[in-house]
Amino acid sequence: MTAGQDTTGTPLLDVCDLHAEFRTSRGVVHAVNGVNFTVNRGELVGIVGESGCGKSATIRAMIGLLQPPGVVSGGQVLFKDKDLLASKRDRRKLLASQIGFVPQNPFGALNPVMRIDRQFVRVIREHTDLNKKQAVELAASRLERAGIADPQRVLRGYAHQLSGGMAQRTVIAIAMSLDPDLVIGDEPTTGLDVTVQRQILDDTVEQLERDHRAMLLVTHDLGIVAHYCSRVIVMYAGKVIEQGPTDLVFTEPAHPYTELLLKAAPRRDQPLKLSHGQLPDLINYPENCPFYQRCEYRDDPRCETEMPQMREIQPGHFAATYHNAAQVSVGYQQ
Amino acid sequence: MSVAIDDAVEPDSRRSHVRTVWTWVRRHSGIAVGLFVLASILFAAFLAPLPHDPFEPDATAVLLPPSSDHWLGTDRSGFDVFSRAIAAGRLDLPLALAGTFFSLVIGVTVGLLSSSKGRGSEGIMRALDVFQAFPLLVLAIVIVTLTGNNLPTVVLAIVLIETPRFVRLTRSQALSIRESRFIEAAYAMGATRRRVLWRHLLPNVSGAILAQASLAAANAIVVIAALSFLGIGTSPTDASWGAMIRSGSQVIATGDWWVALAPGIAVFITVLAFNAIADGIQKTLEEK
Amino acid sequence: MSSFWKYTLRRLALVPVGLLIVVTAAFSLVSIVPGDPALAITGGLASEEKLSEIRGELGLNEPLPTRYWDYVSGLARGDMGTSFFTQLPIRDELFQRIPDTAELVIMALTVAVIVGLIIGGIGAYFRGKAADRGSRYLTSAIQSIPDFFIGILLIYFLFYLLGWTPAPVGRLGLLETRPPDVTGALLTDSVIAGQWDTFRSGLRHSIMPVLALGVFYSAYFAKTSRAVLASAFASRQVEFARACGLPTRTIWLYAFREARTPIITYGALLFAVLLGGSAIVEIVFSWGGSGQWAVDRILALDIPAIQGFVLVAGTITLLTYVFLDILVAKLDPRISYGKGSS
Repeated sequence: MTAGQDTTGTPLLDVCDLHAEFRTSRGVVHAVNGVNFTVNRGELVGIVGESGCGKSATIRAMIGLLQPPGVVSGGQVLFKDKDLLASKRDRRKLLASQIGFVPQNPFGALNPVMRIDRQFVRVIREHTDLNKKQAVELAASRLERAGIADPQRVLRGYAHQLSGGMAQRTVIAIAMSLDPDLVIGDEPTTGLDVTVQRQILDDTVEQLERDHRAMLLVTHDLGIVAHYCSRVIVMYAGKVIEQGPTDLVFTEPAHPYTELLLKAAPRRDQPLKLSHGQLPDLINYPENCPFYQRCEYRDDPRCETEMPQMREIQPGHFAATYHNAAQVSVGYQQ
Repeated sequence: MSVAIDDAVEPDSRRSHVRTVWTWVRRHSGIAVGLFVLASILFAAFLAPLPHDPFEPDATAVLLPPSSDHWLGTDRSGFDVFSRAIAAGRLDLPLALAGTFFSLVIGVTVGLLSSSKGRGSEGIMRALDVFQAFPLLVLAIVIVTLTGNNLPTVVLAIVLIETPRFVRLTRSQALSIRESRFIEAAYAMGATRRRVLWRHLLPNVSGAILAQASLAAANAIVVIAALSFLGIGTSPTDASWGAMIRSGSQVIATGDWWVALAPGIAVFITVLAFNAIADGIQKTLEEK
Repeated sequence: MSSFWKYTLRRLALVPVGLLIVVTAAFSLVSIVPGDPALAITGGLASEEKLSEIRGELGLNEPLPTRYWDYVSGLARGDMGTSFFTQLPIRDELFQRIPDTAELVIMALTVAVIVGLIIGGIGAYFRGKAADRGSRYLTSAIQSIPDFFIGILLIYFLFYLLGWTPAPVGRLGLLETRPPDVTGALLTDSVIAGQWDTFRSGLRHSIMPVLALGVFYSAYFAKTSRAVLASAFASRQVEFARACGLPTRTIWLYAFREARTPIITYGALLFAVLLGGSAIVEIVFSWGGSGQWAVDRILALDIPAIQGFVLVAGTITLLTYVFLDILVAKLDPRISYGKGSS
């Protein structure tokens, strides 16, 4: 069940050469190093990579959630041609109304000492002219749309009274309450029951497709990406090392790291289980390919000396590697 | 992890020693500066030649403002403020250090021992909480006056005030480390309880303990100053910062500011030095 | 809500136990005097009859259990004994002066909390930037100056140099009289009596001592509130609030809401600390409160008075703690009322 793509016109989201770093006393940690990708209207895109690859930092840098010691050090994030990084005030207006954010832990996102309706209504009334009564009605309808059977009860209660699944549905309802054109999810279903995960994703994706909205899904679960996303972006050490249509990338991976990921998760619902190995030093970022230490190929002399640039392997399928993927070993079975 | 290949002995090893010390100083500037200041105060108090005798008042030179002869003026009895303020470091600083040292030893021991019981000591922790909220300065005054009003009783009072924080810190750290794997491993390898305490628990807790000790010493300086401000614990002939501030406070309303300033600044610098050391240690611990 | 009440009752049940400890501690103060207490009190100058008279008054001739029982039963009757030196009942002496100290503490606490929250909040919001470092240096510096020295500096600058405040001779000028006693606290009583001149004068005499205490303890409050607020600003709740495009004003509100439990805890702790910690500032400014009285009595080795003060101070501390526990439980719906919270 993958959504159709709409590539007419300018992309909805265009991330150009994004850089972000964390200034710690041990040195500057380069978490995001020149990330480029786009998301078109109505597209469902997944970002995958193991923990520490910079995907969460990228998302947060994009929408201005990066807190000290993290700081955005370069690049542009164009949403409908407006640079999100340029103006804090513009960005604030766009958030929730046109860009929705669903974080991983719903009990972290929801305020534990505030009633659900108060939190929800506050978000709604910040971006609309609705009065309190209308906002509550809207909130209730959104909760229903997100698959909650008794919205009134949820609204009148507190976060700790909800189950994990219901809490996440509530957060999704809030994030999507104003029908944003882009929904960004940072591991939104990790930690929930597998069946609950699937239900929530099914419901959410169905809604997105119906309203022709785009989604950017950050996850380490390849199965989810394969099932829901039409395009996938693979990140490693703060860089995008491969991107393209999901079926292509998963059946004919060009980058050795993508291969490694696919080998490690042979079954659909298996989450990523990779030992860290030797991640490159993010403080003294290597000048050559960041995957060099763990790569089993290294079949090009430039692997050791130069940073590979993104090149087109097939139409729409890009990878930053010197490795010739002509002889592909393992693919992901749909 | 790659192994360093150059194990060759450095030709100029003395220079490299200095360099490593210098790098350490630059990275832990707070600790280094604090230690330096404290060492200077102690050194000056005991060894530095002073322009005037801090214990011999000059009855002809009463309440003189600062001049080239008396750098910070004289007080009501004719003591040279500058010399006396420096000499007071002989009393205040060692007292604070002694008190802190004993509280550390007692507190850490109690903390380590009580960490093996677990449940009963929850009550002890609560009791310590409440104890620490009690007006401890007043308690110190009570202890010192009732038990003889001399220097050892001051140390006793400091111990009473500062020990709880060491007990708590040691106990909470020890409890959390106890849960960790390598303690299990140590026991599995047949280590006795005492060996576990000494060899495994203590080294891991020592950083936080040192930071807390610095804070305790800072507090002790203020307590000692407050006590001698009230004339408790020290005798009138002793030079101590608190007593000097007291005599300064009696003349400051009429504009003679110099009498109180020097001892006040001395206390300020000493406390700041201890705080800087504590902050520096905590920062180092956070980075681990 | 019934689990809340169960929790409250459990907490309240600890009060008698705590009181017992406090009473016993106060009682044993007599015993910590090395040697003969009577000798210590009189400084060795009294005659043998006087000494045995004092020993009699202290009850030292009786066996320990009898003494203890006498003391406790006396307390139950509300009798805290009589001061050796003034021959007045301690209960009266002490309670007469507590309201004045309470006023000082409340005013100083207000200053400390407001200033502390501002400094701490700025440091937390601008975490890592210049404002944060600046606020941290400032709080370190303030904390390193003893509060009574701040008071002395204020006397020099505000009174002597600038003439903005009256002389530090007490709560009022030497020739002014206090309003009639209703609560025992100067400012409150002058408001009740409608004596606005007295009120204003009392306020002006309060400036220096309140600032001395307030500024000093604001550093402590700034440090603790900064730590709590920094983690609140970095929390997932605030992150989601930012992600929903809520304005800065709301972000601050959310952060404070999240941090309110620890902040209130620290505030109450500060209150308890100030109650005892204000003694020396009281002395410097001749405030005439219970702290000053207590130090006076201690220096005179007036043992019944000391016992009385320790008792009252200990009880107030204990009650503050219990009240705090209950308040925290009420405010935070997450706290489980099971054994051992937080």
